[in-house]
Amino acid sequence: MASTGLNYQTCGWSSPTATTLPPRTCLGAARVNGAAVSSKKNNKKRGFELRAVAAATAMEAVELKKDIAEFYDESSGLWEDLWGDHMHHGFYDPKAADVSVSDHRAAQTRMIDEVLRFAGISDKCPIGNVVDVGCGIGGSSRYLAGKYGANCKGITLSPVQAQRANALAADQGLANKQASFQVADALAQPFPDGQFDLVWSMESGEHMPDKAKFVDELVRVAAPGATIILVTWCHRDLGASEQSLQPDEKKLLDKICNAFYLPAWCSTADYLKLLESYSLEDIKAEDWSPYVAPFWPAVIRSALTFKGFFSLLRTGTKTIRGALAMPLMIQGFKKDLIKYSIITCRKPE
Amino acid sequence: MRLLSHNMLSSNIKGVSNGFPLRIEAEKVVVKQVDLNVGFLKNMFPKIEWKALVEASRTMGYAELPEEVEPSKLDSGDFLQKFHHALLELVLEEGALVCPETGRRFPVSKGIPNMLLHEDEV
Repeated sequence: MASTGLNYQTCGWSSPTATTLPPRTCLGAARVNGAAVSSKKNNKKRGFELRAVAAATAMEAVELKKDIAEFYDESSGLWEDLWGDHMHHGFYDPKAADVSVSDHRAAQTRMIDEVLRFAGISDKCPIGNVVDVGCGIGGSSRYLAGKYGANCKGITLSPVQAQRANALAADQGLANKQASFQVADALAQPFPDGQFDLVWSMESGEHMPDKAKFVDELVRVAAPGATIILVTWCHRDLGASEQSLQPDEKKLLDKICNAFYLPAWCSTADYLKLLESYSLEDIKAEDWSPYVAPFWPAVIRSALTFKGFFSLLRTGTKTIRGALAMPLMIQGFKKDLIKYSIITCRKPE
Repeated sequence: MRLLSHNMLSSNIKGVSNGFPLRIEAEKVVVKQVDLNVGFLKNMFPKIEWKALVEASRTMGYAELPEEVEPSKLDSGDFLQKFHHALLELVLEEGALVCPETGRRFPVSKGIPNMLLHEDEV
């Protein structure tokens, strides 16, 4: 991460199971003569220093993947019950007043259409080979396959989701070729270079601990001429003189990170900087926060319904913790701290 | 001195570009029993320079550590036992640590390495 020079607002997320204290009897091992030299000017110099230690990100990444998988294994069913098979924000008219439940489902499919339109490929049918990075239970993939004639391959960390996604595809008569799903890591996609005409990441970027690797993989699996679409939650771009977000902003994001298993937030500008380091064409981004504003209040309302509430109680702590963090998302949007960003670009032919 | 410490030490004698790892001259090695702590081992593992640990434990007379480790090995009790033994139970009582570039010897006496440089080396 450090090599890209990006300024991540890293959350204090860590697994509660790892202990970091050494056994008491080993404290003596740390005694090395020279470490306790006084600071007086006695010209005594130590012939050693501590070597640079690679941060324990490898271990944290393994734990994070496990936690993300468990979170979605646990919560997918409830979400599907209440909201259906699209696990992303709906696209609403900014002036929309009372939005009903059925409107929300329509808004979610509208989001996919609007995203394709922004990317300039909404007229393309068939869309060709698509990779759905962070596919959830396959809502986007099946929609793209059905409406745009796509051949979609979806990847998710959650075995429960992959299984459900394949089951729904079979139910809907989408042959294996049109929409198939597997458990895989977006940071190490199980596909050869240049396989896909459309690289689709709908609200999965938030979970990636290594944004540079994530973008690298998106670019790698894109075929020449392919479109890459990234829709993700970002924090606001930093001002020219800012090194990082304000402390209160970081605190809010930290709380959300812990509840939703997000390793780190970055800004839209950070993603653009990453993309610009590849030779990609037509890189553009837009802030769609105004178009998704009704979403979180609606999700909260659904959690407070009789069905929502009692189903929630039956899920588990991970889901409940996530549910309790929903007002924080609204707060984040209101403070102009959280942005719903769409970023698209094209790989040259 | 235990290999946990050795794995963190790098020579910073003036002019040295790569002072890690320090070479071990083992004259007296002792085994001191330490309770195994799985959480500690799992947390330390990513911080450890593995090749240096394998090499160092061999010098200390312990050749059981595997050359390469995949993260899944961390769930193996057998591996954890070996890792634990090498990292925490092998103690260098007498011997020396040697800077890999300059050859400067830092003596280890009664388990403590003396890393202080002489007046004329500073």
